[in-house]
Amino acid sequence: MFGEMIRQKQFGVSIAVFVLLLLVPLFLPRFYIYFLAVIYLTALLAMSLNLCVGHGMLFQFHHGVFYGVGAYTAGLLLAKTSVPWWIAFMAGPLAAAFAGLLIGIFCIRLNRLYFGMLQISLGSLIWAIAFRWYGLTGGDDGIHGIPIPDFIASTTSSYYFVLVVMGICLILLYLILKSPFGSTLQAIRDNPERCAAVGINVRRHQLMTIIIATFFGGAAGVLFVIVEGSIFPDLLFWVLSLEIFIMCLLGGWFTFAGPILGAAIIVSLRTFVGAYTEYWTLILGVILILLIFFMPEGIMGYNYRQLFRSRTKYASQIQME
Amino acid sequence: MLRVEDLHKSFDDFRAVNGANLSVQKGELVAVIGPNGAGKTTLFNLITGQLQPDSGKILLNDEDISKLPPHIICRKGVARSFQIANVFPRLSVFRNVQVSVLSQQRLSNKLFQSASRLAVQETNRILESVGLWDRKMDVAGSLSHGDKRILEIAIALGNEPELLILDEPTAGMSPEETATTMALIQRLAADQGLTILFCEHDMEVVFGTAQSIMVMQQGQTIVQAKPEAVRQNSEVQQAYLGGE
Amino acid sequence: MEGGQAITLAALSITFLVGLSRAMILFIVTSGLSFVLGVLRVPNVAHGSLYMIGAFAAYSISTLFGGGSVGFWLALILAPLVVALVSLVAERSLFCRLYQREHLMLLLFTFALMLILGDLTKMVWGADYRSIMPPRILQGSVSVLGSPLPKYNLFLLIIGPWVAIGLWLFSTKTKMGKIARAAAVDMEMVGAIGINVSWVFAFAFVLGCLLAGLGGALVSPTISVTLGMDHDIIIEAFLIVTIGGLGNMWGAMVGSLIFGITQSFGVLFWPQFAIVFPYLAVVIILTLKPTGMLKSVW
Repeated sequence: MFGEMIRQKQFGVSIAVFVLLLLVPLFLPRFYIYFLAVIYLTALLAMSLNLCVGHGMLFQFHHGVFYGVGAYTAGLLLAKTSVPWWIAFMAGPLAAAFAGLLIGIFCIRLNRLYFGMLQISLGSLIWAIAFRWYGLTGGDDGIHGIPIPDFIASTTSSYYFVLVVMGICLILLYLILKSPFGSTLQAIRDNPERCAAVGINVRRHQLMTIIIATFFGGAAGVLFVIVEGSIFPDLLFWVLSLEIFIMCLLGGWFTFAGPILGAAIIVSLRTFVGAYTEYWTLILGVILILLIFFMPEGIMGYNYRQLFRSRTKYASQIQME
Repeated sequence: MLRVEDLHKSFDDFRAVNGANLSVQKGELVAVIGPNGAGKTTLFNLITGQLQPDSGKILLNDEDISKLPPHIICRKGVARSFQIANVFPRLSVFRNVQVSVLSQQRLSNKLFQSASRLAVQETNRILESVGLWDRKMDVAGSLSHGDKRILEIAIALGNEPELLILDEPTAGMSPEETATTMALIQRLAADQGLTILFCEHDMEVVFGTAQSIMVMQQGQTIVQAKPEAVRQNSEVQQAYLGGE
Repeated sequence: MEGGQAITLAALSITFLVGLSRAMILFIVTSGLSFVLGVLRVPNVAHGSLYMIGAFAAYSISTLFGGGSVGFWLALILAPLVVALVSLVAERSLFCRLYQREHLMLLLFTFALMLILGDLTKMVWGADYRSIMPPRILQGSVSVLGSPLPKYNLFLLIIGPWVAIGLWLFSTKTKMGKIARAAAVDMEMVGAIGINVSWVFAFAFVLGCLLAGLGGALVSPTISVTLGMDHDIIIEAFLIVTIGGLGNMWGAMVGSLIFGITQSFGVLFWPQFAIVFPYLAVVIILTLKPTGMLKSVW
């Protein structure tokens, strides 16, 4: 299954970029190393959401909750128990996937917008619990100074850890998208009724998608804890979910790598523009309006036609084999 | 093989299907005819599970399938096409058919295998048999209306159905396209031993191909019989053929 | 039970009445949301922001007129109109250009509107807490089974049903209301008989937002007016229309009652997690009936 991936032209480019990113910490000041790590983990978060939104047309409006659940699970286990670090790290994505299953079961029976609204509501319940339960979660203050294992405690080592984990996750997401599961998901996106008529259990397929997406969302949450060493209820708040949604849209939601670009742009804006003004959400709102009016397919979606063309080419390669 | 007994379905106050009866023998080519709004499409939607009947029985090989969801009915060997061209517009023609072949082979949930290596032969064979082989790389949304309808049939064939249900397969087609499509349907029935149930507007087409015809009016079955018998049935002539 | 009041019959009935008056506010806000949902088929995420603006506007207007009774009554009338004006501007300048586009884009626009209105409110009114006194006639409390019930809550209990009746009369007796209802059922038909669909949408949107503003103005004396009100109410409003049945006005009523009353009893029994009780009710209802209690117009 790797063979085909390696034969792709983009693969060589990806490898080159990856190597370059490995070398980057040698040149950059510490703040930028940290900044890049935040971009990576946010990119992973946006990619995981895009599995639902761009490839599955599921209106996953509160994806941030699963990011938060992953972060809180890992953070609480590290801060309050003495379990080994790797158990805490694994527990994050698993807890997120479990939350995805629970919320998914409720939402999946509903259509589109209804689905999204119910998800916002149920996700907000989780937010409210984290916000109010001072004894466990530290309430609205959150928990800071979470002990991170020594080998990834420094900025540079956490950078490498985040980069490698993100790389692995992206490869997995890519493979999933190219698998029968992924093709079927895209078919459901295009036409759920027809899919049911060819024998596909649409609801179950969508639920599986949500579980996979929330798993990777949770993984991004764990990476956040590693980079920041803290957890707070804003991670579960739906404005963050909206931000992720905008990343997918901005980068191009029908493309594979679009969300990475979107994440990089939004995180950069938040870091550099957010430093000058307290009206960050206003700027976000204006960006969203500009997107809606002028670029509904996102930056990479501009190459939408090309995407079709390359897909056509790709299919002809198969034929020749 | 398929038997529909006294089926009813209403939407609010409108009785779309109001006492439909139908029987399809294995290997038969059965047509359902009736004026617009007679409930043909609703009947098909009831059989394939898109809708649930209010009352009545749908027996597939003596098993009641009236309460089952569409994907289960499909797995029992009933595939269909829809009246409006119902394909996957953003996927390539090849992918369109492959999705249903993958589903037939129970591979849809495979996460870590490459889709481009699975079910390729079967998909190609189907594309060849319906004559879409040379269009297989095109995006389905870019096909002509007639080709989309053919693609629909190809998607249904991906399920290797025992019973193929076609909802007005030639709607919106030019006379030439209609002729090719009907020839294709007859060939499929003959070559692959398919049982086909279809509904159609064009009387010539129906009487030329079907082995058995069921006539519906206002949701009700008037008669089901051989073409000659239907032609001579006075009730049908009065109600539907306008006393031709 | 720590922190809760002693549970007596009086406490229970007061809790019930307070919950009921809370439900009236919720109903006024969610009926507006439901109305927009019914006609435009879009959940207006900015609805909560308009509610918040209604509350802030009520504060400013009542302060402008000296904070007395006159100021309060004027605020109650003018604040919703301010909100309606804001929504009209947003609708005619931008929103109306999206009606031909996919549904998701409409929804995302309301998201953007929420983000922008939230920060604009911060610019205009700042992050401080504001409070408004009810007029003298509504200050103090009446006795119910020996326990005090604030007069203002009583006022809400009276005004809620009137709004419901008004909405019902509007949608069944007036031409505009009938058109809006028909549009909710079959938009193409309304367009086909020569009615300007874009204006029907505009009207529905502005009316819905006006109700949000009215809710905000009415709630302002009972809470401290502050940023963040928008997020709290919109989540609640979404849940209410979801359990009630999308776009169904009576569903909004039923949902509001369930929500207000469970919340109020939650405060009585377990204050720290009072917020969880209505959510539990929602989960139970949706498990039993995924598309809401009353028939949705979708």
